[in-house]
Amino acid sequence: MHRKHQQIRWAVLALAVALAALGSAAAPSGAAPTINLSVWGGYPEIVPVYQRAAADYDRAHPNVHTTVLATELRDYERKLAASLPSDTAGDVLEVDDATVFRYIDAGLIAKAPADMTGYVRSRSFGSSAQQHATVGSDVYGVPWFAGIGALFYNTDMFKEAGIAGPPHTMDEMVADARKLVKKDAQGRITRSGWSLRLFGAGSGVAEKWAILAWPRGAEILTCNAQGKCHAGYDNDAGRATLAMYLGALYVTPFDTFDIKHDAEALELGQTALFERESWVVGDVAKNAPTLKYMSAPLPRAKRWGTIFNPVNLYVPQGSKNAATAWDFIKFLTQPQYERQLLQDVGWIPLREDVNYDPVLVKIPQYKAFLFQNKDFVYWSMPSLRDFDEIETKLADRLVAAYRNKSLVNNPAGIASTLHAAADETNSILRRDGLYAP
Amino acid sequence: MLFRYIFCYAMLLVPAAFFLVFRIIPIAQTLRLSFFSWDLISRTKPYVGLDNFRTLLDDSNFRLALSNTTVFAAVTVVASVVLALLIALPLARRLRFEGIYQLVYFLPFITPTVPEAVVWKWIYDARYGILNYVLSWFGIPPVGWLLEPRTTLWAVIIMSVWKTLGYNMVLFIIGLRAIPAEYNEAGLIDGATGWRFFRYLTLPLLMPTLLLVTVISTIGAYNVFTQVYIMAADIQGSPGSVVRVLIYDIFENAFRFYRMGYASAEATVFFAIVLVLTLAQFRVLRSRTE
Repeated sequence: MHRKHQQIRWAVLALAVALAALGSAAAPSGAAPTINLSVWGGYPEIVPVYQRAAADYDRAHPNVHTTVLATELRDYERKLAASLPSDTAGDVLEVDDATVFRYIDAGLIAKAPADMTGYVRSRSFGSSAQQHATVGSDVYGVPWFAGIGALFYNTDMFKEAGIAGPPHTMDEMVADARKLVKKDAQGRITRSGWSLRLFGAGSGVAEKWAILAWPRGAEILTCNAQGKCHAGYDNDAGRATLAMYLGALYVTPFDTFDIKHDAEALELGQTALFERESWVVGDVAKNAPTLKYMSAPLPRAKRWGTIFNPVNLYVPQGSKNAATAWDFIKFLTQPQYERQLLQDVGWIPLREDVNYDPVLVKIPQYKAFLFQNKDFVYWSMPSLRDFDEIETKLADRLVAAYRNKSLVNNPAGIASTLHAAADETNSILRRDGLYAP
Repeated sequence: MLFRYIFCYAMLLVPAAFFLVFRIIPIAQTLRLSFFSWDLISRTKPYVGLDNFRTLLDDSNFRLALSNTTVFAAVTVVASVVLALLIALPLARRLRFEGIYQLVYFLPFITPTVPEAVVWKWIYDARYGILNYVLSWFGIPPVGWLLEPRTTLWAVIIMSVWKTLGYNMVLFIIGLRAIPAEYNEAGLIDGATGWRFFRYLTLPLLMPTLLLVTVISTIGAYNVFTQVYIMAADIQGSPGSVVRVLIYDIFENAFRFYRMGYASAEATVFFAIVLVLTLAQFRVLRSRTE
């Protein structure tokens, strides 16, 4: 019995020695250490682009294993808030301009190394994208993609209403919407002429309102060079925009509360026209592939332009794989992935030295998002830590105002509504020392 | 004997430790944080004393949330307790197919709230919802259940009563069946029947269960969030902030606006309200039990 035990012990020892020898043969002392690189994002639809780039990158760098994690945007923002201060965030982070500011301010995002700074400042990126990747004189992010607003319209419905093309002015857009609206025998709207954002918790209602108020001359915040701001919508332009919404719902209605809105409405043929970002193209391809529609730049009023919400790629200060992370970012922003981002996902890539013509020929709806004209401005919301709170609270007030019939043809009521909202905006700014008259 | 005691206390120590770590310490931390200003990421947390509580008093969102939550809790608790008791009374007598009835009433409770809320959104849909279709048989014009601020809270209340009814019913059935048969027999011999039997015999003996159900329902109702978030915060038609409830407001301040100190003050007030209500219920109902 004792001899048998001894034999087993020897056998186990021999096996261990053999395995150790095999292990040392497989991993020579000069081999690069394994790097687990994690890429985090808040736009799950982009995952296929990341996965393709990750697979290609891992093939080119056998010691690197790249994983991609993307969650719904609001969850992702909370995940960032919890993980960045505790140094447990991913190595490559996709963060929008408005959100990243607070983390840069807190020293939680790394400055780009010299070579990446040079890359960002090169002709690969436009001046606006470069500016949004820079804080002070330092580059922190690499421009990746942007949310840009444009019009989407159903070409069949335009033809049926005898409208030759997309509107060029805000007044034309209202007139077109009135022609495009459809009602049933009871007078209920069955198809909106122009689908406005009327509902929902969160900041979207105010953002969409601001996109339509901007051409008239209003903005949510007017800021000075020192980054101090005040409400920029308590004025004629803001009042005209709110009056336009109320007119669209109650005076000569072309939209209503109890019909589908947004991309879903376009896809279901329940609206003829609406404003949204380029992701709608990918969404329509998935949900309504036979829909005949086109896009156009937003119409002009006193000003002409559209919103530009850039999303950049960053490396957290606490990343243990910073060098690899920056290298991956450069790898990811190669033309083939930028084109895939546009064609398969629908977000507008920010590299300007890539030829997107093959995609634009195939999907002409993207052209409106790359529109260039000397008078056309790509404007952005300010990067301010209080901005989401300001926008969300303004949205709450707008949702209530849209339902308030007593404001119809009531300039004093509209003025008082916007004045109260502006007071709230300014008090939030004052609270955090960000107010300037 | 000593070993038995040690064993019992050792076994109790494990859940007690979990309770301390996951309940007591976070509650204590929340109370502490309510006196500070913190944005979740800064390393500094300036002490602000009672400022967060003072700001709460002037916050119209907080007042709206408190009012909505209180209306929601009051109606939901009363309706779900009364209806559950009415359903439990016949089912406690071991009816035929009682298992099927219990299953039907209990299913909504165990089904996750998110899919249920989505289904109810369809039921309430102003144009295609089955509720408006049924109402149209009686000549009632379509109602924008989730579109109109005055109906949305009630729509969420109806859905919540439907969801909690089964759980309360099961507790009442257990309570009713636990009433010793001799009490019932004595009551019947004394000539008590119908309402008098229920009022003077069943109800007093059911008071401990009623207390439990009311306390659990109140705490649950004040914690309402998911169904409101799904049914009333959508871009496809819902009045959003009009049906703001306390948990939603705390969630928004904490994890959207990163005002952790302020949200903690709100959570502290919320905790105090639920605590006071629970103690009041214990006081009122327990006095009738004894």
